Order: sequence, then structure tokens, then C-alpha cells
Amino acid sequence: MSMVDDARLDSQASDADVLLRVEGIKVHFPIKRGIFFDKTIGHVYAVDGVDLQIRRGETYGLVGESGCGKSTLGRAILNLEHPTEGHVRFDGVDIASLKGEDLRRKRQDLQMVFQDPLSSLDPRQSVESILVEGMKAHGIAKDAKEARPRLRELLQAVGLPIQALSKYPHEFSGGQRQRIGIARALSVNPKLIVADEPVSALDVSVQAQVINLLADLQEEFGLTYLVIAHDLAVVRHISDRIGVMYLGAIAEEAPAAELYETPLHPYTRALLSAVPIPDPVVEDTREQILLTGDLPSPSAPPAGCRFHTRCPWRQPTRCEDERPALRVVEIDGVTAEHKVACHWAEQIHSGELQPHAVEPVAVDPSALSGNVEPVAIDASPLGPDGRRTP
Amino acid sequence: MAYSSTRPVADRDRPLLSVEDLTVTFGRQGEEPFRAVDGVSFTVRPGQTVGLVGESGCGKSVTSLAIMGLLPKRGNTVGGRVDFEGTDLLSLGDAELRNRRGKDLAMVFQDPLSSLNPVVPVGLQVTEVLERHRGMSRKAAMPVAADLLSRVGIPDPNRRVKDYPHQMSGGMRQRALVAIALACAPRLLIADEPTTALDVTIQAQILALLKELVEETGTALIMITHDLGVVAGLCDEVNVLYGGRIVERGPRHPIFREPRHPYTNGLLDSIPRLDTVGERLTPIPGSVADNLPWDHACAFAPRCSQPVEICTQTTPDLVTNGDRALRCHNPVEVPR
Repeated sequence: MSMVDDARLDSQASDADVLLRVEGIKVHFPIKRGIFFDKTIGHVYAVDGVDLQIRRGETYGLVGESGCGKSTLGRAILNLEHPTEGHVRFDGVDIASLKGEDLRRKRQDLQMVFQDPLSSLDPRQSVESILVEGMKAHGIAKDAKEARPRLRELLQAVGLPIQALSKYPHEFSGGQRQRIGIARALSVNPKLIVADEPVSALDVSVQAQVINLLADLQEEFGLTYLVIAHDLAVVRHISDRIGVMYLGAIAEEAPAAELYETPLHPYTRALLSAVPIPDPVVEDTREQILLTGDLPSPSAPPAGCRFHTRCPWRQPTRCEDERPALRVVEIDGVTAEHKVACHWAEQIHSGELQPHAVEPVAVDPSALSGNVEPVAIDASPLGPDGRRTP
Repeated sequence: MAYSSTRPVADRDRPLLSVEDLTVTFGRQGEEPFRAVDGVSFTVRPGQTVGLVGESGCGKSVTSLAIMGLLPKRGNTVGGRVDFEGTDLLSLGDAELRNRRGKDLAMVFQDPLSSLNPVVPVGLQVTEVLERHRGMSRKAAMPVAADLLSRVGIPDPNRRVKDYPHQMSGGMRQRALVAIALACAPRLLIADEPTTALDVTIQAQILALLKELVEETGTALIMITHDLGVVAGLCDEVNVLYGGRIVERGPRHPIFREPRHPYTNGLLDSIPRLDTVGERLTPIPGSVADNLPWDHACAFAPRCSQPVEICTQTTPDLVTNGDRALRCHNPVEVPR
């Protein structure tokens, strides 16, 4: 790490608290075409400039709809996807620059829990072998025999019987498989666990079991979580702070309760109002902000504010040509922890600006699979933000 | 959206569809046959929205497929009666059933990509229904199809009729499916998890669309879902299914305010709510694999929060009381 970096890290307050610091991370996937020559004809801007900090012992929730880049961001943090640009500092070490053996060793501290427990567990490995594999790789145990006491502990922690060790993944129910996935992540004593949609493949009655388990384990082992999910109710329930993503960038970030009480970004407001609430009294009375149209293609994101094509509060100035930065706003009752990327957050909050009708714009998802608009072949130089200036 | 049905609106109090003692049994090689739907009865009145709620494996989808006559020919037996305007749909032959499906009753499925034909333009898939049931020529049907697509909120419909399903987004495809289902102004629409594959903001659009269409056309809707939130906002009557049987039924407001069955109550306790501060959730222990057979017990007993001795000895009956019905030996007494 350079001296400049050190100085900057020192200058930022409560640094010892911060376990993970993501700075200006970008993940762009090239779109290639051609049989003999893989010509790059454009990029999918999956993650396009994200800064975030996760403190020790907290749960950071990342929400957004499919295609917003939340999973890619999670993978980039673990260096499962190599970031195009930016840094991921974990305990002061830049993960994004690690390679080979160093990266492999570091993985002990960062573990992942996947969405689909069946496809993320090897069907031909017994539970014991699944759990011991990571421990052997990181020198925690030499063999299964040595690992026994630890295995017992792990199974107890995730609420599985000791007999589970000799069974195979197909012998368990969905909820139990997710417990095995969690036990595997825990087996190497990680500091951070990235959970990508940990409960969305489970039945509703079982979801609560896994949510409670995650909370218990956090308390017991002092874990830090990054939970990625599309279900806002789940994220609100387990997170301390929440980041709302839209098209590769964070639109709003706030402590969980504050985000739900005073959403400032128009997208957050629409998102919150769209979640069905299991209470007819609430459903009958609350106001819904219905968004028109679909998420624009991340291979040709709109200029300016990413959300302006669907925003009911869109203004004739700034929204279309100036990309809003994530900033702290001065509004009564809004803390400095609450950041929003909207030019007009104050005016929208005060009611000075009122929503208007939006004409839906048709989005062609085949643009994602390679049929990009000619714009993507633009040869103009890359702008400072990494995107081409037209 | 002005939607005119050519048929006079039927007497709203007479049931449009009445399902009586519907039973679906799947044969399994070398094993006991599995009863997926076990004596399910309910009625749907014109213009009414009825919800079938439950987790995976509770028989909600099989119920809808049985009503539509879409279950595979072999390997299963369907018993009971499905009375639709005086005809028992289960007794109809293939040809007769085809004449009614798409015209009098239609269905919207969960995954729009796999229920649309990938090699036929979407507009043509809409005109197909019109050609088959209304005897229109393709040329005459095309503008009607475009009109239908615009009614379900697809922008630029005249261009979109030529699109193939892969050229549309998920929400758009689901809208196209709704357009196909509504092409002949059916009197009954069955929607099987129509929004489960969609994002919340798109889900809100589709639910608003369904609500609007039901209100304007007087089409009855059977909404099949696992999401209690969707039910709370949409359904007039809610049927909660567990292990192939209805365990509780009631109008929307009372069933959420005073659930009597421990399963309904447990479901409501186990889901995190967006509008309340995070207390610890109370999960339902175990999973559906722990069910007891209904023959001589309550299937839910092993997971129940308040089982009594009789629960594992006798099958509880579905007892109707006014507009509520309950299948439980030891119901929840305290209102939420």
C-alpha cells in the first residue's frame, strides 16, 4: 500500500471499525462478436462506480431488482469477478490486487453463501467431506478425524443433527441444505460472509428459520454480513444499513429504519410502495407509485441519472445530462449516514416537486445478448467516468 | 381501459365455478400413489377474486391444472366435480374442452418465457386464440391483437406484434400472456403465480393490471400464490391449502385479522413485514416433508405450535361457519 493511501485511510474517521471498504469499483463485461476474431463491440456496465463501507459486526443489505448488478458487486468484492477498476480493501488489504496463493489464503476471511443450496453443494460429497474440504485447504485441520470436534460444533451451531455428517445433499430439505451451505462458510472462521439471496429459494415458512439462524450466528461468532437480496422485507428485517442499487450504482444508502421511514430517492420510494404487505388494511389504504416500463439495458445505460427514463419526478434540467453523486442531504430528521444520488432529493422530500406521468419506454432485452444498438460501437474516447462521451 | 364484454353479466350470486371434492392422485412406480389434491371444494362467483395460498407441494397448482383439464393423460386419476356454468368440466372430452379453454376459461402461468412459443411472433400467438374461438381471419384479428396488447400496457403495440418472445422483457411477456388469456373475454381467469418470476416494481404493474381488468370486465379470477402480500391486496376470498387440503377459508379482512388455523397464523408470524420494525421472526418448525397422512391425523400436526392429542389420531373436518371455514382440532383463539 502506498503512503498516499495510508494517509488517506488515517484521515477517515472510525477506520478501525470499517472491515470492508469498496472504492469506485467497476465491473464491465465485454460483449464480443465474430467467429474468428473476438471483436469487442460494447460493454455491459454491470457495476459502474460503487463506493461502500461495511463496519465490523454489522449487516449491510444490498437490494435491487434483477440486473441491477448487486450479485456482480458481491462477487467482485470476493474477487470472484475481477473488477475492471477500483479497490476493495478488506482489513487494509486490497483484495482486488491479490493473486494466486495470497488470494487463496485471504479467502479464509471472506466466505459466501449462495442462493441455491442444491446446486452449490457437490451432490457426490458427503456433508462431512464438504465441511472438511475448506478446513484442510486453510490448514485448520489435517483430516476428518482431527476436524471432528469442530464439525460437531458447526453442526450444532446451524441446527443439524450429528448424523448429518455421513449424508449427502439430496437427503436434506431445502432449508437444511441452506444450513449446510452456511456451515461450510463458517467452517474456516471467516470475518465476512457474503450471502447472495440466502433465503429466496426457500419456502416462506422455512425462510424465517434461516433468517433467525443468520442472526444467531452473527451474535455468536461476531460475523459481518453483506446480504444481497431482492426481497425488501427480508433485507429490512436483517440489515443495519441498506444500499439500494439501480443499474450498477447505489441510488440510496441509509440505516435500515431510516430508509423505510424517509426514502429520499424516487426509485426507493417506488420500490418500497411496490412491495405487497400481508395486511389488507394497509394494502387498501396505502398509495402506490407504479413505475412504467422496464429496467434499461445495462449495456447502454441512460446518460445522466440512470433512473431518469422511469422517474416520475424527472426534471427538465440536470436529470438527463448530469450523473448525480451519492451525497448527504440536509433535511430535518435525516442523519449524515443517509446518502442519496438524486439532484432533487430535497425538493421532492418537501413536496415542492410533484410526480408526473411517465411514458413507458420499450426495452429490448436482446440488446443484452449481443444485439446492441450502434451506440455501443462508438469509438469516441472513454470519459473520466469510464464511459464513452457521445 | 374500456373493456366491453359482449355477454350480459351473469347473476353475481350464482357461482360461476364450483369445485366439489376435487381429488388428484398420482401413481408412483413401486410406491403408494400420492394424493396431491385431496377433496378440495370451493366456489367462484362472477367477478370474484379467489385466492389459493400455500407453500410448494400443497396442491395449489395441481388444482388449477385439474380445473383446466391440463393434467397429463396418464399416471393420474382425477375425482370429484368441476361445475362451470352447469357443465362438469371433468366429464368433457378433449374436443369440447378445447372449445372452452381460451374462450370461457383461460390461464396465465408463472413463467412467461416457457409458456409462450419461442418461434412464433407474439402477435400471432394472440391472433391464434381469436382465429380459433371467434372464427376471425388472421388479417382481421391482427388489429384486434395489437389493441389487446396496448390494453395490457405494451407500448408501441403495432410494432410489438411482430416481436418474438425473446425480444420482450419478463414483464412485457407476462403482459402478452395476460393479453392472450383475455382475448376472448373469458368468464374465468386462473393466474398461477403470475408474478413470482418478476421484480417487485413489475409485479406491482401486473397486479394493478389484473385488478383493473377484473373490475372492468367482471371476469372471475382464481389467484394462486405463495405470497400472502399479493393475496392481501387482491383477493375477495382466501383459501389456505396445506398438504392437498383446504385448512382455512375466509374473506380477506377477517382471515388476516383473525386467522384461526395455526398454519395460517404461523405463516403470518414467519414472514418479515416491510412496515414493521424487525422483531425476531417465529418460524414454523420443520418442513413439508414432515407431514402426517391425512387419513388418520392432521397433516400439519408435527409442525403445529399447539397440537393436542387428538391431532395425531383423527382427521379434522372442514367445518363451515358463515363465510369462514376451518379444519382444525385446536384452533387459535386469540385475535392477532
